[in-house]
Amino acid sequence: MMQETAIFNEKIERVLENINKVMIGKEEEAMLSLVALLAQGHVLLEDVPGVGKTMLVRTLAKSLDCDFRRIQFTPDLLPADVTGVSIYNPKELEFEFRSGPIQGNIVLADEINRTSPKTQSALLEGMEEKNVTVDGRTIPLKQPFFVMATQNPIEYEGTYPLPEAQLDRFILKMKLGYPSPGQEMQMLEATSKTHPIEAISAVMDRDELLAVQEEVKDVYIDRNVQQYIINLVTGTRENSAIYLGVSSRGSIALMKAAKAYAYIYGRDYVLPDDVKYLAPFILAHRIILNTEAKYDGLTSDSVVEKIVQNTHVPIRKEFNS
Amino acid sequence: MKMKMPYLYTLLLYSCAFILFLEWLYPVQQIGDVTNMTVFMLYTVFCFFISILGVKWWLSMPLKGFGLLLIIDSLFMAVPMLSRRWFEQLWLEVGFNLNALVAQQWYELTPLFRSVLFLLLIWMLSYLLHYWFIVRTRVLVFILLTFVYISLLDTFTVYEADGAIIRTFVVSFVALGMSNLFKEMDRESVRFSLVKKAPVWVIPLVGVVLFSTLVGYAAPKFDPQWPDPVPFIQSAAKNTGGLGNGSGIQKVGYGEDDSQLGGSFVQDYTPVFEAAAKDEHYWRVETKDVYTGKGWEKSAEPEYELISGERFYMQMVSSEVETEEFEATVDFNEDSAMEKLVYPYGVSQVESEQDFALRADFDHGEARTIRDTEPVNLDQYTVTYDSPSFAIDELREVKGAQAVEERYTQLPDSLPERVGELAEEITEADGNWYDKARSIESYFGRSGFTYQINNVPVPGEDQDYVDQFLFDSQAGYCDNYSTSMVVMLRSLDIPARWAKGFTSGEVIENGDTTDDYDRYEVTNANAHSWVEVLFPGIGWVSFEPTQGFSNLTDFYTNMDETEQDDTLDSPEAAPAQGQQEEVSEEEDAAAADATSDNDSGNIEMNWWYVLIGTAVTAVLVWIIYRTRFRWRTAYLFRKLQKRKDARTFQDAFHYLLALLNHKGLVKDPDQTLREYAKRVDFRYGTTEMHQLTSHYERILYKNEMNNQETVQLSQSWKNLMKQIMA
Repeated sequence: MMQETAIFNEKIERVLENINKVMIGKEEEAMLSLVALLAQGHVLLEDVPGVGKTMLVRTLAKSLDCDFRRIQFTPDLLPADVTGVSIYNPKELEFEFRSGPIQGNIVLADEINRTSPKTQSALLEGMEEKNVTVDGRTIPLKQPFFVMATQNPIEYEGTYPLPEAQLDRFILKMKLGYPSPGQEMQMLEATSKTHPIEAISAVMDRDELLAVQEEVKDVYIDRNVQQYIINLVTGTRENSAIYLGVSSRGSIALMKAAKAYAYIYGRDYVLPDDVKYLAPFILAHRIILNTEAKYDGLTSDSVVEKIVQNTHVPIRKEFNS
Repeated sequence: MKMKMPYLYTLLLYSCAFILFLEWLYPVQQIGDVTNMTVFMLYTVFCFFISILGVKWWLSMPLKGFGLLLIIDSLFMAVPMLSRRWFEQLWLEVGFNLNALVAQQWYELTPLFRSVLFLLLIWMLSYLLHYWFIVRTRVLVFILLTFVYISLLDTFTVYEADGAIIRTFVVSFVALGMSNLFKEMDRESVRFSLVKKAPVWVIPLVGVVLFSTLVGYAAPKFDPQWPDPVPFIQSAAKNTGGLGNGSGIQKVGYGEDDSQLGGSFVQDYTPVFEAAAKDEHYWRVETKDVYTGKGWEKSAEPEYELISGERFYMQMVSSEVETEEFEATVDFNEDSAMEKLVYPYGVSQVESEQDFALRADFDHGEARTIRDTEPVNLDQYTVTYDSPSFAIDELREVKGAQAVEERYTQLPDSLPERVGELAEEITEADGNWYDKARSIESYFGRSGFTYQINNVPVPGEDQDYVDQFLFDSQAGYCDNYSTSMVVMLRSLDIPARWAKGFTSGEVIENGDTTDDYDRYEVTNANAHSWVEVLFPGIGWVSFEPTQGFSNLTDFYTNMDETEQDDTLDSPEAAPAQGQQEEVSEEEDAAAADATSDNDSGNIEMNWWYVLIGTAVTAVLVWIIYRTRFRWRTAYLFRKLQKRKDARTFQDAFHYLLALLNHKGLVKDPDQTLREYAKRVDFRYGTTEMHQLTSHYERILYKNEMNNQETVQLSQSWKNLMKQIMA
């Protein structure tokens, strides 16, 4: 349900074109990943294996000329395996830091719920602080830094589901889902000889990306749109089906994402439309339903949708005097 | 997407339509000259029945048509149906009536043709109501029309819609509730099957309607603020002042025939004449002396005496009675037609600029104005009269049996004995005629009789008019009271007769000083009847038994009388005599009464103008209301061009939203402007809404104001407004 009047920002449009060459029928997901990237947030992907998570991240990295790293989370993975480790160099007679996979621009954290909370928190700290602490030393992470973490919703055995406080760190949560039969046919045709990822090249470099991230911050958001965000978030806190509502971090995330979304569409101001469209992706994973609601068959998505329906869009400006 | 209503509910709703339609037909029967209403009703039932069956048009059309022909045949055709002659006759009728129609000779139309038209109307309405109520579920317009129709008929015709308005209220509110429910369910896509299982919705609906009906029925209601215009319209149309046709409801006024008294009437404030007089006094026209048990007649064919001079002396009191000479002028209203002379007590002379003579029947106090043996209506005349005053002590001397003319103590054999017994009882303590008369005169006020003009019964075949009033209804108007008093007096062998005329009317112009003449207006509502008692040796003295009226006869006592009678001392106090205690209790009755209702005269003059004024204002308001969007659009457009600021644009934009909302394109609160604009542009095939919305979005969400663009867009705004309004 993307906006139909898609007049994209030129730079962004090139990136999206690139992704769409590789990821057939995933325009919306590509765009949402970009929203998170431009808002300097991180994405949580909840999906079954083999639907193209890795391909999406790799295409993104290649288009933006970024370093791509991948961490496959396993139960025996240690924090040092993520952040890097200091090794004693007998020749130099000192400890030498070997950076871990987190030291990339775009990191795919695969099946994040398979590893121990300790290791999870090492990644999450990096996501939040933009640096990691190894042996008492604080090492800054590369910029831009973007994590796309995946979670397998099917297998629960031997997993460590992320606590809600941690989920909050991801600016948005989305699903890739299966392609339609027609799209799958296109995909098969496209990959029968060479993988289309081989054919694409970078359309933006890292510095440009950093500059764009700064520009996104300058997107104007009016007080009445901010009020709309607050009303939505307050709605989650007052809803009887919700046990835990959205935190203030959630409202900030919604605002940042809305700015990025507006930027992608070539606007320098945020519309309530942006907020309304993004709200389910940004709010749904931040709420906890109470038990009755779950038994009633409600889901976080349906509850957020209901809240959006019940929140009035601001359509009148208060003029002073 | 329209959902199918379950049959039961369709049937219910359509029954409501049917009942409402019947409310249209009832009055037709009463006010029109439609005789075979039952047939039309049956045809209505038939048409509605066919419609509700929901059969295809090729079946329902011939069925209804055949029904129509059947009725026409049974009502008008003598020859066998569908025979050759039958068709010929029908063909002739149609040809004749079509010619009459073309020639606009409406009165030529035959009953057959008019019936056909009426039946066709019923047919069409059965179809229309089916469409309104069932297909569109839009019932409000028809309901409003029904209410207007009934109210208008009730106001301007003799049709009494007391019951009809309650029936209509109940039925229409049930229909409204149901149709609203259907529309709501349709909108929310609620399935009817859910409702079917739980018809709980019926309980609150019926409860609320019944409750409000009961409250409305029981609650106190304002009396009509205007006098009933029906008699006014009728007399304006007919130019007459006679009594109605005796169909139950009559109109007060001076009438000739009093042989059947009783029944309700409506007040008619059409002026009859204006009079300039020194004091209030009754205007006498004639008396009647034979009581039949149902009403009054004259004893014998009146013997007329031709009087050609100005002198017209009605000897009613003996020469010993004190009199005072006065003069009064009578100005007849152009429209009123009184052939009988209206005169005050003690009349001695009648002068007029017009040439006239009098044919007087002194026995009955009646004088007709004639010119060359033809009746004539005088426009204006002056009467000179010797107003009598009676000494109470002299009146009191009359007691015991006296030899008087038999006709003044005549009573019908059929008069129940209890009337006489009651008279005896009332006058038990009185030793003379005067006191007896006074006791009977004040009896009604003491015993809780009420003055009313509605729901006054007409005596049945075996009933006596007076007996019914005294023992049964105990409510009525002047005829009841005066007749009862005369009859009771006669049962005590006191000679009395029944006098008719007018009360003094309303003062419309006060004289500057007490010596000046006041001007009175006398209307049909002032027509009155009272009692005259013959005191041998003194003469005829009038009494006023009617509730709410005062005896205007001047009684006085000599100074050496007992203290008890002191109140009667001054002539001014006399009119209130015998009524004083009752006055406060009778205020309500008096308010309804012609002599004491001060406002009604003026209102009666003005209500026609008020009505026209209200209608014109209503039409104007309605036009302005209907064109309000145009006015506002023009105003806002000019303001936009002048101000060019964000705030004005916001007003204009929101006005656009309000208009769209009014046109049924409602913006949901959670809908963004962009989403809404897309819907609007799609609906009207425009692009303006998108342009305007984009501009407004920048004002609203970007805090930007481009005045140049505002001016450019104001034209788009106006165009879009016009397109939506069209």
